[in-house]
Amino acid sequence: MGDLQLWLVRTLGSVDSVSALMRTSWAWPVCESLHFVGLCLLFGTIGMFDLRLLGLANRVPIAALHRLVPWGVGGYVLNLTTGSMFLLTEPDQYIYNTSFHLKMLFMSLAGLNVAIFYLRVFREVKPVGAGGDVPRAAKFIGAASLFLWIGVMVCGRLLTFYRPYLCDPDPGFLLNCLPYG
Amino acid sequence: MDPVFVWVESSTFSIWTRESTSVFAFPTFLAVHAIGMALVAGMGAAINLRILGVAPGVPLTEMKRFLPFIWAGVWLCAASGAILLVAYPTKAFTNPFFYAKLIFVALGIVQLRVIGSRVLGDASLDMTPVRGRGRLLAVSSLVCWAGAIGTGRFLAYTYIRLLSI
Repeated sequence: MGDLQLWLVRTLGSVDSVSALMRTSWAWPVCESLHFVGLCLLFGTIGMFDLRLLGLANRVPIAALHRLVPWGVGGYVLNLTTGSMFLLTEPDQYIYNTSFHLKMLFMSLAGLNVAIFYLRVFREVKPVGAGGDVPRAAKFIGAASLFLWIGVMVCGRLLTFYRPYLCDPDPGFLLNCLPYG
Repeated sequence: MDPVFVWVESSTFSIWTRESTSVFAFPTFLAVHAIGMALVAGMGAAINLRILGVAPGVPLTEMKRFLPFIWAGVWLCAASGAILLVAYPTKAFTNPFFYAKLIFVALGIVQLRVIGSRVLGDASLDMTPVRGRGRLLAVSSLVCWAGAIGTGRFLAYTYIRLLSI
């Protein structure tokens, strides 16, 4: 495990073009803002869809609400991109971070949940119209999705707890907490 | 304001929130704030997208069912935000980003109320494309939530004064 982690840190850390960009002034907080916008898009649209599966707002036809899902996928792609940029810039801050390990676990389970949804129940669920109820398996998948994405967010937010970044002890104007000046 | 900051920052709760190494102190309040944000800005954005014509087959009045989740998110953010503010009052109140965030959030909440009552509450808009002021509200609501997210995130990287004590 230690060897693998060391190899990951070295390999990920060798992508100099990304880390050079991320070390320019304000690049990190800008990417974090985009990361949070992405998570809102993902959780807002997918969370709504999950709640509909669970029976809320059941006048909404499933197929109609599913038209919002591409926006959630867009948020996911945005977060995969910005997240990879953080990882490529400071690999050791993540590879050795317990919260990151848990976040990857939650993300894998959420991905598996998505795969099961589309491969096993989507065909049955898609035609469910206004007032219709979805099978219990689909409800379970919806509940799991809500739980797993909340888990991803919580672990993401706790990353800094396991990796507290340091502020410049001598306060200046609006710059001293930046990881890179 | 300094005496107030000193008084707040020297309170037991403020010190605990700020200095405790427990995951249930500062990190938990941050996590709750993020979940609240995802509910408010995320589901808010989804409703705005529907108003702008994405997913036109979704009955607009039925989107009202999601409003309680959004308001729950508002309260989660307000409560956790107040606690984060008790932990670092000087840091927030001396930072221009904090005031920008407050303005975005206030406008966002006002717009959310108007969207809830005027747009989602208008049965004539249920299945017909929304025009005019409804669309404008949706766009400006999206801008406000994005602005609140961006300024909120920048707060973590900026300060003029950290503490008054």
